[in-house]
Amino acid sequence: MIVEAKSLHKRFQDVVAVESLDFQVQAGECYGLVGPNGAGKTTTMKMIYCLNRPTSGELRVFGLDVASEQRRIKAKLGVVPQENNLDPDLSTCQNLQVYARYFGISKQESTRKCRELLEFMQLGDRADSPTPRLSGGMKRRLVIARALVNDPDLLILDEPTTGLDPQVRHLIWDRLLDLKEQGITLILTTHYMEEAQKLCDRVMIMDRSRAVDEGSPGQLIQQHISPYVLELRMDRSLAATVQDRFRGLKHQVSGQNLFFYGDSASEFDDLLAAYPDMERLLRPSSLEDVFLKLTGREIRQ
Amino acid sequence: MNAGILSVTPAFARVWKRNAQVYLTLWKFNIFPALAEPVLFIFVFGLGIGSYIEEMEGVPYLDFVAPGILAIAAIMQATFECTYGSYFRMRMQNTFEGIISTPISADEVGMAEIVWGATRGLVTSTLVLLLMVAIGVFDSWTTLLLPLLTFLAAFNFAALGIIVTSRIGQMEYFHFYFAGFVLPAQFLCGTFFPVSRFPDVVQAIAWIIPLTSFVDIMRSLTLDRVSASLLPELLWALGSTLILTEIAVRSMHRRLVE
Repeated sequence: MIVEAKSLHKRFQDVVAVESLDFQVQAGECYGLVGPNGAGKTTTMKMIYCLNRPTSGELRVFGLDVASEQRRIKAKLGVVPQENNLDPDLSTCQNLQVYARYFGISKQESTRKCRELLEFMQLGDRADSPTPRLSGGMKRRLVIARALVNDPDLLILDEPTTGLDPQVRHLIWDRLLDLKEQGITLILTTHYMEEAQKLCDRVMIMDRSRAVDEGSPGQLIQQHISPYVLELRMDRSLAATVQDRFRGLKHQVSGQNLFFYGDSASEFDDLLAAYPDMERLLRPSSLEDVFLKLTGREIRQ
Repeated sequence: MNAGILSVTPAFARVWKRNAQVYLTLWKFNIFPALAEPVLFIFVFGLGIGSYIEEMEGVPYLDFVAPGILAIAAIMQATFECTYGSYFRMRMQNTFEGIISTPISADEVGMAEIVWGATRGLVTSTLVLLLMVAIGVFDSWTTLLLPLLTFLAAFNFAALGIIVTSRIGQMEYFHFYFAGFVLPAQFLCGTFFPVSRFPDVVQAIAWIIPLTSFVDIMRSLTLDRVSASLLPELLWALGSTLILTEIAVRSMHRRLVE
């Protein structure tokens, strides 16, 4: 067991950030935390890498208690924080070497690691660049490379691909899957359900400081939602009519969108025949549908 | 919870090295501006105003004021480094958060920042000291002891700086610290004229600020006036440094590990 949390609570002054959380992360799996902003994902991650102390409950990482064994836990962790925290006054390679030194890695070893890791994250030609000159995607890849400098057993990534272009995002996904293949355990948070679906063996959906559900993306979809979704776009008055007419189908309204859910695509045949000209999208249901169903469509402050 | 000086391991030196590495990368921007104020003080007070003052406490004014200028150079460098410098690393660059995600502890970050601030104080004040020796201010062997004292004085103010830094929510609070404490301390602590000129209350306050003890010890050394009466001052200089460091390290721990 890599991470084991039992009735984990975290309170900041009078704000409850995490409440009654129970979960386990197995060696070698990729475990995802998803949920609206403020759901408690980052706090949960920070408790794992010992930056936040649990208010109550039990949290063990590598079987070690986070309350007393921070140093031993952190020695085997790689952390990619939500916000890049590179040293702007140092070069790409120096950033890795300074970090390696914190782990007690020798200069010679860190020079070798630097070459290897920059190559791995496709930054090989930027070893001497000052970090402020790097693009957003390069900075993110450098932070990931840095997190690997101590050959971690567990890599923690807080929103690894937020704000990055599709090319970089796919490169990072490929690399994370490479790492998983090497046997490294991954825990990540993301707002992209596509990312969670692609990378994670299991996902925990969090909302308002609590776990709402947990399972593999496939299981969650199966459990909570029909396999097919039909999205229709129309103005509200028409939406009311359509809803009324096809009351028999499971549906949900969101703004100008009407969502129908069905066990097979043919369930929508009558509806589509009745409104042939309507803007529509028939697709298999996704983790995003589950997410929105469980955490609601309204915006969280 | 294990926090405080006793929980600090030698690994803190790795953070010190990070700061030194950045400092050396930017050395031009770091060394020369820091010398401007002390050099100006030597000219304005030592040589300028000094030419109107025959003697202070029986010695030429430049000889009297030199240890004060030296101490100010040390504590100002340490103060800037451990207020604006540390705050910038902590809040703007998130450097500390990155460091404590490794086996380095928050207490070690606090200690490293203090020792680093003290190091910068030592570097600047030693350059000023060399300049003073070059223009013939100090001629006694006791001059060799001055760097030890400037390092300690800088250490003391570095710790105090970290206490402030780890407790404020926005950078603007430094204005109060500088205007309300650092600036007055520069002039009240026997640096430019003896504390004995002040009313009793002010004297008492001045002696609480460890800078007064540091300056008095340094001056006693350079003027060959060492006596047993310096012992309580030495104890306060060392004791307050230790206490402030312990508070600073714990305070940084509380700030970084919520």
